[in-house]
Amino acid sequence: MARPNASQAVSYTTEELARYEAIVQRYARHVYNVAYRMAGNEADARDLAQETFLRVYRALRRVEPDAPLESWLYRIVSNLYIDLLRKRPRGRVESLDAPVDTPRGELLREMPDPGSSPEAIIEREQLDATIQRALGTLSPDLRMVVVLSDVEGYSYEEIAMFLRVPLGTVKSRLHRARQILQQRLGRYVEARRRGWEP
Amino acid sequence: MRLNHHRASQLLSAYLDRELGPAETAAVQAHLLDCASCRAAYEGLRTTKELVGQLPVAEPPAGFWAAVRAPWLPRRAGAARIRGVFGRRVAWASAAAVLALALAATPLVKGTIDRLHASEIGVDLYVRQHAQAMGAEPFTDRAYLGLTTGDADLVLSGDAQPAGTAPR
Repeated sequence: MARPNASQAVSYTTEELARYEAIVQRYARHVYNVAYRMAGNEADARDLAQETFLRVYRALRRVEPDAPLESWLYRIVSNLYIDLLRKRPRGRVESLDAPVDTPRGELLREMPDPGSSPEAIIEREQLDATIQRALGTLSPDLRMVVVLSDVEGYSYEEIAMFLRVPLGTVKSRLHRARQILQQRLGRYVEARRRGWEP
Repeated sequence: MRLNHHRASQLLSAYLDRELGPAETAAVQAHLLDCASCRAAYEGLRTTKELVGQLPVAEPPAGFWAAVRAPWLPRRAGAARIRGVFGRRVAWASAAAVLALALAATPLVKGTIDRLHASEIGVDLYVRQHAQAMGAEPFTDRAYLGLTTGDADLVLSGDAQPAGTAPR
């Protein structure tokens, strides 16, 4: 990793910068994924993840080597996302990747590459967009729990530790979140139960 | 251990995730054998979890890795939106302070007008002189404190008013 330039606020040793690089390697993809599933669009996900790592960078000397950082990182993402929602008018945080409802039906903002888009891929992408949109209808609290559990695969105990909430809260939030998602995704849930695979 | 329908239905997600203890697991299993609606609900939750779990890992956009690896470099305008939250909070706090100051100053201005008015129409010389002096230096007026705290039963013009009515 290159040495920082003069505008860098903190000057770290080569070892410290190598440690930062290792943290980026280990966590950045997961942090981005969680941020993306929370925010529902690339621009906000990138900003959330970058701001999260800026905080890691600034606090690098206080981070114990090899300490697991998931708890801290996901809490930062969660808090930053809630801040983002607060400073925006209600309803402005929406998925840029989800289809747009118009009077003439749904339009996709990002059309798949026609050269590599057999019907199955388009269907899968539409399903992903629908699931993402359904996630977006959950409150941030419920969304975070379902993303950490069903997208990232963490246990209830880990999620309770990350979010600093009791185990019972994780249990009830996740159950509630899945019930809402099931309602929103009713058509797809039913189709899959009947054996139709998108 | 035996569960009623409501309790069992609340435990279906945790059962699905294998997050229940052995006794609760056995009790939910027993309930599922007897309850068709819970079986249907369980299937729905299972399929929902499966659908969400199949979302692909989101691929970070171009430039993401470089920006994360060199966080000290200036970032695009959009990133400042998130950092700007703190700045915005400071701005709101300043605005609130200005508003509080304006609210505190209102009785001062209003009080000064009332004093000048009283100095013109006061019933006796003492009241007129006092009102004039206090109009020039309102912060020396002991009654000003009463005005700022809302105790405005002061009758500067000398007219008798019952307690609790607004001053003229």
